[in-house]
Amino acid sequence: MSRHLAWIFLGVMTLAASAPLEALNYEVGGCRTGSTYVNFATISAAVSAVPAGATILICAGVYPEQVTITHPLTLKGIPSGNANRAVIVASANGNFAPNVTSINGPPFYAQILIENVTPAGVVNLTGITIDGNGINFDCPSLSPQHLAGVFYASGTSGTVNQVTARNQLSTSASGACGEGIWAENGAGTQTVNITNSSVRNIGDSGITATSSNSSGSVAIKTNFVIDTGVGFTGAGIADFSAGQVSGNVVTHNPTTAIITGGPMTMQGNTVADLTWAFDISGSDITVQSNYISNVQVGIAIEGGSPIVKSNTITHTSGCALTFRYNSNNATITGNHINDSPYAFANLSGPLPSHNVLFNVDSVQGSTTTCP
Amino acid sequence: MSKHRKLFLALFSLLAVIPAWATNYQVGGCLAKLPNFPTIQAAVSTVPPFSTVLVCPGIYPEQITISRPLNLRGQVMFPLNLGRPVIIPPRVVGGGSGLQVNVTNIQGTPFAAQVLVANVAPVGLVNILGITVDGSNGSLACSSNAQIAGVFYASGTSGSVTDVTTQNQQNNGCGFGIWAENGAGPSQSIDLAGNSVHDMDNTGIVALSDQNPPTLTLTISGNSVTGNNNTQGIASENVSGAIKQNVVTGGAIGIADVDFFPQQTPGISISSNTVADIQDAPGIAIVIREGSTAKSNKIANVLTGFYLQGGNANPGPTLSANIAEITNTSIEFNCTTHVILKGNTLNDSLVAFDRVPSGTSLSTPIYNIDTIQTGSCP
Repeated sequence: MSRHLAWIFLGVMTLAASAPLEALNYEVGGCRTGSTYVNFATISAAVSAVPAGATILICAGVYPEQVTITHPLTLKGIPSGNANRAVIVASANGNFAPNVTSINGPPFYAQILIENVTPAGVVNLTGITIDGNGINFDCPSLSPQHLAGVFYASGTSGTVNQVTARNQLSTSASGACGEGIWAENGAGTQTVNITNSSVRNIGDSGITATSSNSSGSVAIKTNFVIDTGVGFTGAGIADFSAGQVSGNVVTHNPTTAIITGGPMTMQGNTVADLTWAFDISGSDITVQSNYISNVQVGIAIEGGSPIVKSNTITHTSGCALTFRYNSNNATITGNHINDSPYAFANLSGPLPSHNVLFNVDSVQGSTTTCP
Repeated sequence: MSKHRKLFLALFSLLAVIPAWATNYQVGGCLAKLPNFPTIQAAVSTVPPFSTVLVCPGIYPEQITISRPLNLRGQVMFPLNLGRPVIIPPRVVGGGSGLQVNVTNIQGTPFAAQVLVANVAPVGLVNILGITVDGSNGSLACSSNAQIAGVFYASGTSGSVTDVTTQNQQNNGCGFGIWAENGAGPSQSIDLAGNSVHDMDNTGIVALSDQNPPTLTLTISGNSVTGNNNTQGIASENVSGAIKQNVVTGGAIGIADVDFFPQQTPGISISSNTVADIQDAPGIAIVIREGSTAKSNKIANVLTGFYLQGGNANPGPTLSANIAEITNTSIEFNCTTHVILKGNTLNDSLVAFDRVPSGTSLSTPIYNIDTIQTGSCP
């Protein structure tokens, strides 16, 4: 055999050995049966057993369990009869002991935990619901335990698409510790995409991305985030990682819609019916072409040198923009402001130019607060 | 004819459509050198057609009728903080509403319009920009069915309302932010863009024609409309045009596309709007009729995403590339046939499709739906 033929032969043999003789489908819930399906009784049993890279189909139904994923795989909800919601709810044993500790310190009870994934690869979630109803920790202001619907631990990557996270409340008189979707990263690398998902009725923040050294990249795109921060803390989207926050709809929160401190672009989001729309700090941040309606404060700048341009801010009961802590290094241009008591409040630098203002009571507010 | 003579005639034609007397006037005295009027009504009644009336920051307790083509423009003072120009109901000694019925609409309903555009002569546009119209303390309690509107474009008028704020048109359920209508006669065109409309107690923006075919074309774009309780955001009733890029939140109905002549008049385009937080019954984000198209809208946190109308008309409504999330019912077919669904995404709903006629293709990606289809049609 010539050397070339030998290489080709070996290559074909290797390819054949890595492909299963018969493609197997992995399924939970019993709505798909037959010789090509491997059925599991629980999601946890499936994620522990399937080979790396497998897709697990989850039939519409209710799954009272806590799921930890440590292999690269995909969880995908599928219809069963006239239903199409596979929902993970509080585990029946009532044991809500923490299963992960955040890089920020507090312990978490994660309903779906992605951690220590080996071999390296992505964990994707699509078309499933995670419901925190019935899981409600005491949430003292000191040493609180948090609840998360989905938790991507440090060093893990993947995509959360068309997922619903709801009722992660865990509120008490002294605080709120319920988080919808949480992605965090320490020293390693991480790429997480959170897209097209609905997040609602959340005690603290709807979607959180946090990174201790900006090594994580999280894209938060086209999500619908409603009724977060019901414990009057947290935000709709809290992003202290790197990446982008774009095309999301965030409404009806008693607190801030989008808060960020990492280097990123926030573009094309619609924010309405809440108190603060954007709360930004740090540099390398661009807030562009967002639409803000019926809020108390449009964009609060808390330092750094962000670029705020081409946003439409309409109907604020307080400031359209406020510059806190002597934030006078921001670039403010091309914004369109209509119907606001204050266009620019707490401004210590020069009046921003090239913005369009209508129906503002005070162009430049000297007030130290936004009424 | 020589080239020069053609050029001369062209220039002459151009000059002829730009009135030589067009100029600027002011109300309020904040601008040096411009002729000043004490009230907006005095200005709009006096200035030559096609003038621009600049309105200084301040409170203007008057009910205004505009009957000549002009621009009415609010003035923002830099860097002074003098407030905004606000038109409020005339003050009445001893209390009570200062508003009076000043127009009857094409359906015979009396209206007290705070800014009325009517009987405009010579023919031309009335454009209103950057003014606040506040209806506080103007309620007529809907007595004798008298409605209140912040801005009212009566039949036969055209123009634009841009970056205006209307607020507090509270009238015992008969208060409207902006109303535009046209009956018989020449077709009219009105643009409503970038306005802030809130705290009305009936409907934020109404566009209405009672003719077949419709005699009014509306472009309603980039407005912020905030409702509450039983209000509607935007109601398009038998007009042509487009409703696009608005943010409509709160109330009972977000955008309503209504037909007076079922299956006879063309539909409208409803695109790239965000409609959210419509939680009061019936809680519908978008009502859409036969022949109309809803494209690339985002809907969230409503009771019903789309409510379809049109019976068996062909074509029925078209829904394409919309996203509806967090709803009780994503699409209420209402037994409407000939519906075209293309590339919509439905996520997180109790019911995806209700009362779907047999033979309808439901090839729509759906996720996190408790019941895919329910209800039945005769």
